[in-house]
Amino acid sequence: MHTPKRKIFTALAVAALLAVFIINSKTITSPGRTNIADTANAPLRAIHGLSSAIKRVIPFAYFREENARLRGEIDLLKRKLEESRPVLDENQRLKGILGFRKEIPFTTIPAEVIGRDPSNWSNSVIIDKGASSGIRQSKAVLSTRGLVGRLVEVGRYSSRILLITDPNSKVGVVIDRNRQGGILTGRPDGKCKMIYIALDSDAAKGDKVVTAGLSAVFPRGILVGEVVEVGKEPGRLYKYAIVKTSQDMSKLEEVLCVK
Amino acid sequence: MRKIGRIRVYLILLLALLVNATVLDHFRIFGARPDLMIVCVTFFGLFLGRAAGLETGLVAGLLTDIFSLDYFGINLFVYGATGFLAGALKTSFVKESKRTQALIVFLCTAFSMCLHFSLASAFSRSIGFGFMEYLTTCVMPAGVFTSVISVPIFMKLTEMYNLREEDDLL
Repeated sequence: MHTPKRKIFTALAVAALLAVFIINSKTITSPGRTNIADTANAPLRAIHGLSSAIKRVIPFAYFREENARLRGEIDLLKRKLEESRPVLDENQRLKGILGFRKEIPFTTIPAEVIGRDPSNWSNSVIIDKGASSGIRQSKAVLSTRGLVGRLVEVGRYSSRILLITDPNSKVGVVIDRNRQGGILTGRPDGKCKMIYIALDSDAAKGDKVVTAGLSAVFPRGILVGEVVEVGKEPGRLYKYAIVKTSQDMSKLEEVLCVK
Repeated sequence: MRKIGRIRVYLILLLALLVNATVLDHFRIFGARPDLMIVCVTFFGLFLGRAAGLETGLVAGLLTDIFSLDYFGINLFVYGATGFLAGALKTSFVKESKRTQALIVFLCTAFSMCLHFSLASAFSRSIGFGFMEYLTTCVMPAGVFTSVISVPIFMKLTEMYNLREEDDLL
């Protein structure tokens, strides 16, 4: 049997040995651990590289999804922007019409152009308003830029306008600068010709042409267009002027019908 | 019209009329716009002969008269005569050449517009411009424009109906 003294001595010896081992543990174990780490370096690096690559790749999948979603959103916004552009243009045009309606001294009915003349000779348009909206025959039709024509056929829900560019249209006009009168007739190419201008007239390129107001159809002083050429045909006792209408009839979309 | 059914021809004319009456006015170059009706009438006249050309022209003219503000019947006569002319040219030209086709369309357009001017001058009290002015400002640009757009339309129609130069009795 061991005596208590011996037990205490054994415990102290073990404790001392343990203390010595702990104190020197770094110097004893480090080389071994380093060697092990060195040996395992290559596979560790490989595993680390692989895990790093996986770590880098995993977010890419998410980014790809996000990228696709954002691209979709961009496309949607672009489309919405494109869709809203005509609405903005229409808004501008309608604002212009509203402002113009306030400016002119007679009551007008706004209408939209829904069809055009299919032939290459006549120039007329069909509008979406008729007698049910208060439209009446032989009344002038304007746009925000000037005179358009007159109503020649009025149905219940649609009407036809004879444009001033039609060869059968005749409008009494004057040159605004010198008040020289003439008759404006249309040409199939979309321009107008002012005839019966006095030979001594000083009509020149750039002169504004307005309605004379001599008939019951067209009110006085409405802008028709601008003179682009003045000439004299041989054998005639008057001059003529080619007038470019202030309103491009091929781009006519909304009109105002005088009541 | 053995190879191409009448209904189809009339539907093509109706489509051409709709395009003429809606969007074509936006494509004016030097004030001229092409006339799809003339293109169609010339095509059918040129490939199907005088009778078919006349028939197509009369239908095209009638449709145009209904939707136009012109004197009623004037387009009927003009397009009918144009279709007949195109039909008369059927055997005179090599139809497969695109240049020839464009030239024939130009001639037919010029013919129809000049005839229209003559008839309108006869019926109307006064036209504010002379024939030469009309010829230079309206007929020439419209003729050129119509003949240019006729090339792809002719190609499409000949391809659609598989028409050939030797198909004399369609």
